[in-house]
This record gives sequence, C-alpha cells and structure tokens, in this order.
Amino acid sequence: MTTYRIADDVAWVSHEELDAEGMPCAYVTRLPQGPPTTLNGPACVVWLALSENGSHDDIVAAAALLWGIDPDEIRGDVLALLDELVALGLATAG
Amino acid sequence: MAPMTQEASAATGQMPIAARVHLAHAVVQKLADDRGIDLLHLKGPAVLPGLRADGRQSSDVDVLVRPSHLHVLVASLESVGFEQRTDFATGSVFAHAANWWHDHWGWVDVHVSWPGVTIDSERAFEVLSRDSVRHPIAHRACPVPGRTAQRLVLVLHAARSGGGPDVEGAWDAADPAEQAEVRALTAELGAEVALAAGIGELELHRGAPTYALWHQFVHGGTRLDEWRARLAAAPGARAKADLLTSALRVNRDHLRMELGHAPTRQEVRSRQLRRLRRAADELARRVTRR
Repeated sequence: MTTYRIADDVAWVSHEELDAEGMPCAYVTRLPQGPPTTLNGPACVVWLALSENGSHDDIVAAAALLWGIDPDEIRGDVLALLDELVALGLATAG
Repeated sequence: MAPMTQEASAATGQMPIAARVHLAHAVVQKLADDRGIDLLHLKGPAVLPGLRADGRQSSDVDVLVRPSHLHVLVASLESVGFEQRTDFATGSVFAHAANWWHDHWGWVDVHVSWPGVTIDSERAFEVLSRDSVRHPIAHRACPVPGRTAQRLVLVLHAARSGGGPDVEGAWDAADPAEQAEVRALTAELGAEVALAAGIGELELHRGAPTYALWHQFVHGGTRLDEWRARLAAAPGARAKADLLTSALRVNRDHLRMELGHAPTRQEVRSRQLRRLRRAADELARRVTRR
C-alpha cells in the first residue's frame, strides 16, 4: 500500500503555529530554492494529516476527522492533492 | 466543495511576514547544513519559549555566523538569489552586520558579532554557541543559543535599540541564579557596559570608554552626540581616524534603501549637503544655548 509523507527537504509552518486567526493555512516550501506555496482551507487540513504520515486511506480519514466531513466525500480530492504535492516535490509516496 | 488542488497556490505576495520569516530561517539553515557552516539563529522564532512576551514578531531573519565561515555563507546565500543590500562597514554603528534581500524570503541580517560584545568575534562565537540547542523553526532543527546566552542577546539588543519589552522577559523575569549566570557570561564576553545599559545600571560604568555610546543608545541624543560617543568608544587612533572618515561619507546602502534605487551622484551630493546643514544647525543650537 502506498504511504505518503512530507519530503525531507521541506520546511513549513501553519497558521496555528503563527497564532494567526481565520481559515486553516499552511505555508510550505522546498529548501533552499523554494518557491513558497500556500495551502488554504481543505488543502491545509490534508497537509496537517499528511504530517502524521500514512496511507491514502489514513490521510483521508485524518483529514475527514479534522474537517468534520464524511471520508467518502473527499477521497478523490485528497488523492488528487496528494498527487500534486508529490509532483511539486513537497511530499513523497512510497 | 471546490477541488482541493485549487487551494494550493504560489504564495509570494500573500504570505504573511511571520510565515516568511519562519521559512527564511529554514532556508538559511539548509544552506548551513549543506555547506558545514556554523551559525546561530537569533531573535524572532529562534527565541526559546518563556524568554519573550507572546505576540512579538520579527520582520527579518537574524543569524550570527562563525566569522571564519562568513565567506561560505555569503556565497551560499547569493547562490540561491539573495542580494547584498548593505555591507559590514555601513550596516550599523558596530560594523557587525550586513543585510541580504530575497524576493521570496525577505531580509536576512548576517551578524559576525553582537553589539556590546567586545572580545574577539571568533572566540565570542565559541562562547555563545557553547550551550546551543536545536530549536524547531518551520519544522527544521535550527541551532540557537542556550537560555543564558539568549537572555544576554535579547538584553543587549534591547539596549542597542533604546530599550524595549524584551528586557522584561529576558532579564526582569529571570530569577537571581539565572541573572548571575547571565552576568558570568557577560564578563566572559566583555559585555558588561552593554548589559548595564540594558538593565538600568549604566551609571556604574561612567568611566568606561563605551559609556557615552551606550548612554546615547538608551537615552538618545543628536547626531553630533552620537558621533562624539562613537569616537570615544573607538579603540586607538587608527580606529578613531577611520570613524571620522566614515562620518564624512553618505551611507550609500541606506540611501539606496530609502530611495528604492541606486543613488545617483547628484542624490549623494544632495544628501551630503543636507547632512552638513543638519550638523551646522546642531552646532548653532549649541552655541545659542551657551
């Protein structure tokens, strides 16, 4: 089963760590070249779930729990986002 | 629900300064890790919990680099797009720091020494990094000074900046044993006058060559007062001569930042005249007061 995790050369900080208010948000970059990427709302929730590592199902379940939504409603979107994060070099799949 | 992939976007323009600063610390540390550069992250997100009031944020990155590693750090910064905007001679009174700018990561201030520390800079780095710890910034392990050294760094910075809330968390909130540790470290670094300026004991050092300089920082004064204080603090005739020479020059780096472009010869000349008039006005006011 494919598992996902944040890539080794990535730095990130969430709005929560910055004591910011408003929509969940994470600021993510590859080191040292960048560029920075902003993950807003649901994308941030998936990122926070990804930070715990795990399979697609694990991340869907964690994101659904964080977002308070049925896992089946977000399964396809989560997979698409994970693929995009892998393509950007921000996450690894293995 | 909109596809989540639409929620991921390039962020340069919309990233808050606090986020940019966190990520920039991580960028600098990655460069340091890759090239074997010894440095310490200071201030901002590098401050250990409990040493600073919540909600305090930095707008730039401060790092103290081992002086003998400076050239490697500079090459590394510039290899990823940082541009030097001030040099060490013009960056500050102490010629201790220079600034680099990056369109994604903002300002990075590179220090080779810390204002108030008077011992050799290489030795000072050894002392300040002796009890360093790894502190997570943007989920990357970044070396920062230990708690005692951090207290001193914050107090010295506050003194240099004319006071500020950092003294409360870094000094006032420390218990007597912690304050004694800071004083011991201060003596090792030859920073007694600067610490005294930060904690309200400067008058105990009235005879020190740097007294007037720190008095100027804490209490303010005219440009003439500042130069007189800097002259008194400069060790030796050669240093005093260098200082006087630099006093006569317009700081092109600062003028460039102020204007937003490289100053023309006419703009430098115009600024030179303005400084001359200001100095003349200050002198005239003193003559009038007598």
